[in-house]
Amino acid sequence: MLQPIDTLNLFLPILYALVFAAYTYDFFTEKKFVNNSKRIILFVTLILHALYLITRTIEFDHPPITSKFEIFSIIAFSIAFSYFILELLTDIRGTGTFIILFSLGFQIVSSLFIEHNYIVPEVLRNRLLGLHVINALLGYSGITISAVYGLLFILLYKNLKANKFGLVFNRLPSLEILEKLSFYSAVIGFILLTIAIIIGIIWLPSAFPNFSYLDPKLIGTFFVWIVYGIGILSKLFGSLYGKKVIFFSLTGFALAIISLIITSTLGKTFHSFY
Amino acid sequence: MNLVGISINHKTSPLELREALHLNHDEIIELVPRLKSSIFSEGVVISTCNRTEIFGFPQNHVLDLAPIIDELILLKPVNGIQQEHFLKFFSCGAVKHLFSVASGIDSMIIGDSQILGQVKEAFEISEDLNFTDTTLRKIFDTAIKTGKRAIKETKIGEGAVTVSYAAVQVVEKIFSNLDKKSALVIGAGETGELAAVHLRDKGIGKIAITNRTIERAEKLAEKIHSEIVPFQFYKEHLHNFDIIISATSSDTIIVSYDDIKSAVKKRKNTPLVLMDIAVPRDIDPDVKNIDNVFYHDMDSLKIIVDQNLQKRKDQIPFVQKIIMEEMIGFFGWFNTLDVVPTIRTMRSFFEEIRNDELEKIKNKVSDEDFIKIEDMTRRMIGRILHNPTVKLREFAETGANIKEVAANTMILKDLFNLGSIPSNGKEINEDENKTDRVNEKE
Repeated sequence: MLQPIDTLNLFLPILYALVFAAYTYDFFTEKKFVNNSKRIILFVTLILHALYLITRTIEFDHPPITSKFEIFSIIAFSIAFSYFILELLTDIRGTGTFIILFSLGFQIVSSLFIEHNYIVPEVLRNRLLGLHVINALLGYSGITISAVYGLLFILLYKNLKANKFGLVFNRLPSLEILEKLSFYSAVIGFILLTIAIIIGIIWLPSAFPNFSYLDPKLIGTFFVWIVYGIGILSKLFGSLYGKKVIFFSLTGFALAIISLIITSTLGKTFHSFY
Repeated sequence: MNLVGISINHKTSPLELREALHLNHDEIIELVPRLKSSIFSEGVVISTCNRTEIFGFPQNHVLDLAPIIDELILLKPVNGIQQEHFLKFFSCGAVKHLFSVASGIDSMIIGDSQILGQVKEAFEISEDLNFTDTTLRKIFDTAIKTGKRAIKETKIGEGAVTVSYAAVQVVEKIFSNLDKKSALVIGAGETGELAAVHLRDKGIGKIAITNRTIERAEKLAEKIHSEIVPFQFYKEHLHNFDIIISATSSDTIIVSYDDIKSAVKKRKNTPLVLMDIAVPRDIDPDVKNIDNVFYHDMDSLKIIVDQNLQKRKDQIPFVQKIIMEEMIGFFGWFNTLDVVPTIRTMRSFFEEIRNDELEKIKNKVSDEDFIKIEDMTRRMIGRILHNPTVKLREFAETGANIKEVAANTMILKDLFNLGSIPSNGKEINEDENKTDRVNEKE
């Protein structure tokens, strides 16, 4: 089974590059043929990526969450998959290039450095941990997509304010739609993160009896969760519109990134499995 | 083909002349009988605010266009009009010009979609007045098809090319569902009306009009089924609207920074779109510095209009390609008009020979054998003529080489001496029969 895994590992960055190229070409030219075929290329890529992740799980007898580079591949998949679902639901096809770029980046790094791990710590074979990680990653994909739409919102907002009617004005959907896409992605991300946190809390005492709630990773995640929670509740029950909604999304995302960098480089946390 | 056409349009004459020569429906109806009586056997008169065009087939096959212009000026006397103000077209050039007009690439605003309807309407008037026949009908059917293809297959009609429509295009980049939004149009003049109509066409949820003269506001409100806000109170209602379009003829600013600041505050910072399409401006331009306020004036909207016009210009080669395709198709059809009588004559010629020969043996064979011979000769003639008929039709339908079509037709006519006979071929058959009889005698 190693041969197909290695082949897919080689081809996935190429496929994501192809998807990215198709979406970018369509963004700049709006050719009808590309507009229809890019979604098909993305779909085929997602199928092959899912196949890759399944074959890895079977071959190495653990979910592909045991190294940073396995995680990167899952992030690439979940971002592309979330975008695909969003595109199917909304039929807004002009923003893919900005989101698929993330999948392409993560998959390139993953494919370059990923190794065949047959021997992994026992804790990483736990099913609850698998669920926890998958929910967390899908949640982070949601907030990443939310941030991308937030940035596109800001870009279009500034273009409109400055009377610039170029490519951004012509190709992006309306501000209201970008705001909605950003908000809905954040809501989905928040729900999945909440599930991941709940599973983590259930699983944590059994896996790490000496863990601390003051662990930097837990504190960081909690702050991210709080920021999104406040933002979503304010939007739902308060009077948050436009730029303010986007502000929450971007702040939450920035906090998530900072927290990730700090905890994985500086701080000591029980989350460091690799 | 002897189709001729004259055109006076925005490229050849100033607005005053075009206006003066514009023909309304009744005037076209008055002009057609005049053209019919002495100039054209069939024809069409197209007249819009930017062009007046007359196409037709001359009765006497003389390609002199002066009488058409004279007839037009006789109906609509205009000072200062000269022959130079008219473009003149013949045959293929006339067809090409008509197709260009119908597809909108000859319009003042390139890609103008109204012209297609106007061409169609002009043709219908001629049809109603029995001023059209097969060829002209085919030309106009193809022109309308060309116009439709241009709209469908290219982007010639896409993008806003008027300031009021550009304003609506910007609004659509801010709000997704206009049916849940409300708009206030300040000023019930032509520009305001146009903007209001565009918004209504885009399905705006609620629209209100305010105007210094209440009668004008009422008139427009009735036309677009909108509400009226009294002019003296409209500032108190600004916060109730998501979109404000101002198009008054006021010399001073009528909506101040503070008016908008206060409206935005009351709206709890929800986005507010302001379109100032008045010259001089109606709204204080400093309002663009307020968060969630999108302010656009004539200058900024003109950028969109210019961009879209350029995009439409870039589409002209694609439309010209469609025009060329349709011209090839049309002339292919037209060329078959020459070929069809030749084919018919040729078949009649052979049929006559067959009938003549059958007649000769009718009394020499049994009825049963006669039926067999009759059947056999019919199939034989059919097989002999199948290939030349198909080839001749193919030559004509491809329309690629008219000379070749003519040469082949001539060879056929010469070989069977078809040229000297009427279409039914009776005379030649009689002559041939005579020769046969002479031979028999000998």
